[in-house]
Amino acid sequence: MAEPAAEPAPAAGGSAPRRRGPVVVLVVGMAGTGKTSLMHALVAHLEAQGSPAYSINLDPAVSTVPYGGNLDVRDTVDYKKVMSQYNLGPNGAIVTSLNLFATRFDQVIDILERRAGVGASAGEGSTGREGERGEASGKAEKGEPPLEYILVDTPGQIEIFTWSASGGIITELLASSFATVVCYVVDTPRCAAPPVFMSNMLYALSILYKAKLPMLLAFNKADVADPAFAVEWMTDFEAFHAALEADSSYQASLSRSMCLVLDEFYSGLKHVGVSAVTGQGLEGFFAAVDAAAEQYWTNYRTELDKRIADKKRREDEARTAGVESLKADLAEDRKKAVLGGGGSSGGDGSGE
Amino acid sequence: MKYAQLVCGPAGAGKSTYCATLLNHTEASGARRDMKVINLDPAAEDFCYPVAIDIRELVSLEDVMEELGLGPNGGLLYCFDYLQEHLEDWLQEEMDQFADETYFLIDLPGQIELFTHAPVLRKLADSLTAWDVRACAIYVLDSHFASDVTKFISGTMACLSTMVMLELPHVSVLSKVDKIPEEERGKLDEFLHPDARLLMADLAADTPPRLAKLNNSVAALLDDYSLVSFLPLDVKDEDTVAVVLMHADEALQFGENQEPQEHIPPDADDGNDFAF
Repeated sequence: MAEPAAEPAPAAGGSAPRRRGPVVVLVVGMAGTGKTSLMHALVAHLEAQGSPAYSINLDPAVSTVPYGGNLDVRDTVDYKKVMSQYNLGPNGAIVTSLNLFATRFDQVIDILERRAGVGASAGEGSTGREGERGEASGKAEKGEPPLEYILVDTPGQIEIFTWSASGGIITELLASSFATVVCYVVDTPRCAAPPVFMSNMLYALSILYKAKLPMLLAFNKADVADPAFAVEWMTDFEAFHAALEADSSYQASLSRSMCLVLDEFYSGLKHVGVSAVTGQGLEGFFAAVDAAAEQYWTNYRTELDKRIADKKRREDEARTAGVESLKADLAEDRKKAVLGGGGSSGGDGSGE
Repeated sequence: MKYAQLVCGPAGAGKSTYCATLLNHTEASGARRDMKVINLDPAAEDFCYPVAIDIRELVSLEDVMEELGLGPNGGLLYCFDYLQEHLEDWLQEEMDQFADETYFLIDLPGQIELFTHAPVLRKLADSLTAWDVRACAIYVLDSHFASDVTKFISGTMACLSTMVMLELPHVSVLSKVDKIPEEERGKLDEFLHPDARLLMADLAADTPPRLAKLNNSVAALLDDYSLVSFLPLDVKDEDTVAVVLMHADEALQFGENQEPQEHIPPDADDGNDFAF
């Protein structure tokens, strides 16, 4: 099938990047916030809508995956075996399993691109992988519904994914192939205490700076605690400040500045209240995902391309510099050889 | 009056190494203090220091996982719930066996959930104060977080999220500085003494203009309160170890008791003093 005629080079300034293909939702959150339950609810919701999602489980230590999971890290790596084989504790084993999986993640991307290509009518769905495209479009005839969302469940302990090298690699690989948004799941009932809320938001801010992707806050367990208070705190700076002052003994000026920082953080952020149990807010969740994906296309994609280009340029420069210095070394060596062989006629050495 | 450093930080940051280093340093330098390490990580197995008090005598993660059929996460949270219930009748009793003026290093697990969600560490901090143990928090961050400015901000924000919950006097340490390549050392200096304008300029170069306002407020926050200024730690360099210990002593007001004084009022240090 022919390449789409109007395929702009990614670097072409004003033209909007390609917008086809599914949206990847990276579900991250602290242990016990209900990531896996939320995944289950999301997958079920999409099934019911007749637009099946592709789900990936990246938690090597999870015992059961209620949503099935099209791809599962546990199929590739056995975390218990890693534990005994490498003589690691549970944490080390999870990190190592994820590292092992990350080394093969390019294959996952291939699978995803092939699957995404199934529904995309123009044979579009992979970005920048020419080899895959023919195959992808070849399968486009089969008439499965287009894949709209790829949902990724991450390990229970948040820092294993957000702070590890492998988490970074997986995020980057996904983000360079698909529209990718980070969904930070918040345990709403636990956040009712202002310091917990602030601590959580600071951590979310930390992820924003690390992942450099559009972000969405999902206030989970909305059936237990109405996230209205959180929304009020996010939109009304004074309200949160008052709550914080009433609750704790911080220096007033310090808490005020922190509130100001967070206030700035919220302004670019989508948030939605959901409940994995009752299913409330799931419509809104996908609306927010779509909006975040829109941000990815309008802002993040070009930045990402620029970062990749920058990185490549730096590597090229380093390589060129390496070659130059090698050449210089060789020349130097030759000069020395000449000097050594030619006796005392040092002045002529440079001319050789 | 006893003293305690709560050693926090993400997994792999070098918390246990920090404890071992400080212990060795104190012994080698002959400083007059009785330092003991408490292990509170129920999943820890090999120790690079003599363990004075070990949470695994109370509860072991392996047993919990096996007997209750929990995963590593659930197991850890269970262990800490259990610890919380037994703070008085276990930890306090264990600590009471040590003489007055004992200087504890408390080695904690790296899971951020314990700091932000579970109330247990906050409870621990409060309990220590109630038991007449003066505590400070040491946040250990791997120096690869200082390799570029967005990572650095990410690290400091995570550090801040812990500080906010613990409300203890605080010392931040950038570990493994000896692992930083020579050509990046210049950057390190900038991060060790963050300056708002420099940070802002760096952030502006590294992030899209959309984040400019956020960048500015973050940089201003760090600058205004010197909230998170890191101390470099190279475990092979005794000087850096001494500096870290000095700052921790300052946060704990250690040594002020050495003077023949009857009582230090307990409110001398109520945990509000982040900036010092």
